[in-house]
Amino acid sequence: MSLATRSSSTTRTISAGTSAPRTQARTALLLVVAAAAGLAAFTWPLVWTPGSAVSPLQAPLIFALVLPLILAVVVSDLTGHGMDVKGLAMLGVLAAVGAILRPLGTGTAGMEPVFFLLILGGRAFGPSFGFAQGAITLFASSLLTAGVGPWLPYQMIAAGFVGLGAGLLPRARGGCEIALLACWGFVSAFAYGWLMDFAFWPFGLGTSTQFSFDPAAGPWRNLHVFVLYNMVTSMGWNLGRALTSVVLIVLLGPGLLHILRRAARRAAFAN
Amino acid sequence: MITFEDVTLTYPGASEPTLREVSFTVEEGDLAVVVGRTGTGKSTLLGAINGLVPHFTGGTLAGDVRVAGRSTAHNRPRDLADVVGWVGQDPRAGFVTDTVEEEIAYGMEQLGLRPAAMRKRVEETLDLMGIAALRRRPLADLSGGQQQRVAIAAVLAAQPRVLVLDEPTSALDPTAAQDVLSALTSLVHEVGLTVVLAEHRLERVLHQADTLLWLPQDTHGVVVGPPSRLLLTCDVRPPLAQLARALHWDAVPASVRDARRRVQREHLRVTAPAVVPLSTAPARVSVRDLTISYGSLTAVNRLSLDLRPGEVTALMGRNGAGKSSLLWALQGGLPSTGSVSVDGRDPRTLSAPQARRLVSLVPQTATDLLYLPTVAAELAQADRETGSQPGTAAEILSSLGSRLPPQADPRDLSEGQRLSLVLALQLCAEPGVILLDEPTRGLDYAMKDHLSRTVSRLAHEGHVVVVSTHDVEFAAASQRTLVMADGDVIADGPTREVLTSSPAFAPQTTKVFSPTAVLVPDEVRGAR
Amino acid sequence: MTPVHPWAWWAWALGLAAALSMTTNPLQIVLIVLAVCAVVLLRRSDAPWARSLRIYAVLAAFIIAMRLFFFIVMGSGGGTTVLFTLPQIELPSWAAGIRLGGPVSAEGLVFTLYDAGRLAAMLLCLGAANALANPKRALRSVPAALYEASVAVVIALSVAPQLVESVQRVRRARRLRGGAARGWNAVTAVVIPVLADAIDRSLSLAAGMEARGFGRTRDQRPPSPALTGGLLAAMLAATLGAFLLLGSASPPLGGALLVLGVAGTVWGLRVGGRRLSVTRYRPDPWTARDSLLAASGCAAAATMALVGTGEWPTLYAAFHPATSPLTWPTLHPLMLVVAGLAVAPLALTRAPLPATTHPGHLGEAAA
Repeated sequence: MSLATRSSSTTRTISAGTSAPRTQARTALLLVVAAAAGLAAFTWPLVWTPGSAVSPLQAPLIFALVLPLILAVVVSDLTGHGMDVKGLAMLGVLAAVGAILRPLGTGTAGMEPVFFLLILGGRAFGPSFGFAQGAITLFASSLLTAGVGPWLPYQMIAAGFVGLGAGLLPRARGGCEIALLACWGFVSAFAYGWLMDFAFWPFGLGTSTQFSFDPAAGPWRNLHVFVLYNMVTSMGWNLGRALTSVVLIVLLGPGLLHILRRAARRAAFAN
Repeated sequence: MITFEDVTLTYPGASEPTLREVSFTVEEGDLAVVVGRTGTGKSTLLGAINGLVPHFTGGTLAGDVRVAGRSTAHNRPRDLADVVGWVGQDPRAGFVTDTVEEEIAYGMEQLGLRPAAMRKRVEETLDLMGIAALRRRPLADLSGGQQQRVAIAAVLAAQPRVLVLDEPTSALDPTAAQDVLSALTSLVHEVGLTVVLAEHRLERVLHQADTLLWLPQDTHGVVVGPPSRLLLTCDVRPPLAQLARALHWDAVPASVRDARRRVQREHLRVTAPAVVPLSTAPARVSVRDLTISYGSLTAVNRLSLDLRPGEVTALMGRNGAGKSSLLWALQGGLPSTGSVSVDGRDPRTLSAPQARRLVSLVPQTATDLLYLPTVAAELAQADRETGSQPGTAAEILSSLGSRLPPQADPRDLSEGQRLSLVLALQLCAEPGVILLDEPTRGLDYAMKDHLSRTVSRLAHEGHVVVVSTHDVEFAAASQRTLVMADGDVIADGPTREVLTSSPAFAPQTTKVFSPTAVLVPDEVRGAR
Repeated sequence: MTPVHPWAWWAWALGLAAALSMTTNPLQIVLIVLAVCAVVLLRRSDAPWARSLRIYAVLAAFIIAMRLFFFIVMGSGGGTTVLFTLPQIELPSWAAGIRLGGPVSAEGLVFTLYDAGRLAAMLLCLGAANALANPKRALRSVPAALYEASVAVVIALSVAPQLVESVQRVRRARRLRGGAARGWNAVTAVVIPVLADAIDRSLSLAAGMEARGFGRTRDQRPPSPALTGGLLAAMLAATLGAFLLLGSASPPLGGALLVLGVAGTVWGLRVGGRRLSVTRYRPDPWTARDSLLAASGCAAAATMALVGTGEWPTLYAAFHPATSPLTWPTLHPLMLVVAGLAVAPLALTRAPLPATTHPGHLGEAAA
């Protein structure tokens, strides 16, 4: 994919001749595997059984080892084979914007001013670009703020799918498109929050409280407790993140999509 | 070295080609300067040399472009990186890394050079461009001129034989521009590099140029010739060309020295017009003991000043002399001490919409004020913001002599068009005082003339107009000139007096006829 | 003396974090924390990222406080030594029958403290790696397969400061059009010009990179189906392995699959990386000292893993002091050995020289 634009009426994928069906199929396969790995990594508390070789403290760390490799394969494929230098420069610049926006949100309850940019980027340049943008933005931002930790691969893969999802949404135009993106912004903000919290729930809270993960209790009971725990502790954050996304998409979406699509037109000419 | 054969280039969606059947040759070791009005395809021509046009920008190219025997049809720009070095307008926008040394090595890393060879070439290049002392400095800390020199060094490291520069000085102040251009001429003379560059202020490079490539408006062709002949006829007129035309000379002198000699040889006599005294109208803007500090740095130091309607005031001085700070403080947008009074009110105490009706400022990067997708939307927004009748801003825009397509994206406009748009938006508030910060950057001669007529008209209508500029030729059209240095006003008076009294701030015409106090070529028309 | 390779710091820090995850003895935890803090304070540079340990310390303190709070308010009970009793509220059954308040036992409190302290200490190890390893140099030594991605990150890191400037400029310019610089409306007027500027910048950046030969040495053919297939299989194996390891259905099989998958992915990335032959200016050499540094962290982890096998019950007990009934944690000589491995960098490296910064630009050490 070079900077491919998806305008509202027609799908104009103007690319540097690399979007051969086989390339697209390979990328799609890699993304599916990454999605599977991501899902496993996020929902491990459901399958963890007592007496396992790894403790709940170590489980996210095991995935923090596996996920970077999977991310490396996917991102290497997306950036190395499918993207030309214009796409790469655009990726770098959008990641810089995201990396600057992100610290603005810390300290303000649940403000997460990055997601709207991933959603608009994924929408304007397509799902693969959206995935790469999500992963690279979170990575660059954690380097800038020195926030590298086991949570980083989780954040990268989740943010990647936020951008990817925006690219896969059905076609729409004008107000409809913005409404669609705003919905996705709302849904993805909650999904992101829940998945992140769930994966790090036993890790963060330990096992000694009633709100804790209890391996002996079975998945349903654990989900029930988690939902309660999450409502009490993170509802505000998730809601804040979702509302920030919705407001920013409604406010900036039309203008930004215009700018991004203009860039796509200027960047991706006939080859 | 560079050969264009019947090159026709059409961008996708364009109704007619940008270049049509262009053929020319640039010899090895030449310094060729590309001239033409804005929008005639200078960047396209330059980009076509290393294949960025059409490989990178898109479009169809018929004919053949060859550099050092290699055709751009079969070589992508990246394959030509070791033959053609390409440098863009704004060096900061092209940096990939963040320190000088790494930036210089970057291109060689891409070519896959061995580390040992790279070390050697980095050292050579640092010496060649005279930037060895900067090697470990972060790029962001360098001055504009240093940054552009690093950008040139970064492409030179791959040891190309041709250097292509697209307006390398348009983002620089005159000192930095001189710095970069002298580095370039030494590359031509000492290294034997072939250099092709586009430059708006031709007077800076004219004396070094071997060939001129002129892109006339509307014909989409290229006319090639020696500068002294071509400049007599072409639509790009640096001051010396205007002078040659005013005096009916058969060739354009390459430098002030050549022109002076000819004037002496021909015993030309000119009389300087009388100095017009400054207006004595009551001051609309009155500044007393204005001081602006950034931390421990004092940008403007206890400055006192009166500005009167009916005059255009040119504000000159080096970068960092305090010009922008002064303008921002007059608008009230910058904290300052001392008193500022505009029509009896202090803009610092007013809300932004009120201050805007008193004093309007067009900032250096005028695009900072634009955020809507079309020209029409911006104009309508300006009407709303200022509570004017719908259509007021559009009317002002057309009265400025600018006709812009309403549905165009403001960012697709040329520099001159954008400036008109922003000026129209700002004038919509009907301010009494209009401040323009460096409006001449990136404007060609014709646009500068237009701007100069516009600001004169505004002054005649009773506005107070202040224009900060580095361009002495532009300042020559004003009535009053202020020169700032280090936060102080070091000269203030009628423009003719200020600009003719020192060589540093003298326009080229003045230098030619010094000590006679003439400013512009028009004043010596028909002299004998 | 060449600076320590950034990946060596990461290996050391991750090794210690892994070691910490295998003990609950507070003495051992405190020893490692002291060692890590000493290394950071004595070996960090004056670069901006070197101050990150503090952020992690705050985060660590927050985790301990949060866990204690949750334990005291809704602890799971158990333990016989009741310290105090809070008023008790039973939540309805839809809330999973959770009980707020009630008796708080010393055993539970100590267990929570041990567990939280261990997590906090692991976070500090990560903070240490963030503070010590130069991220820009780390990026320069990523595998070739990730070259393009690293370029995007490098661009992001160098463009970010320019964008901050651009935001400040545009915000200031808002006044000129009579707009207030606050509120939601200001967001559009600031964000749009900044982004438009940034995107135009990306195009000129791309043109510059292309003209300078970016991507010239890349093999443009699509990768072979065999490589793709191998990578897919390896990724699946790694995921499945991790899954099996957690589900305890078959730990040896899970472990084997995990190792196989990880090895296969690394191999695939290496093969993929051969398709590009860019070179590195002044590559960071991996020296014997870097190997020793990385080994010190890994040795600490390996020691703990051996203890963790449970082959030596007394040793295991020393590293996992009982909390029910409460016992005093004891100091085992092996703990000093592990702490010694943690401070090894002090012996292996020298304090960095103060960076030669330029006036007006302190703290921005050249990367």
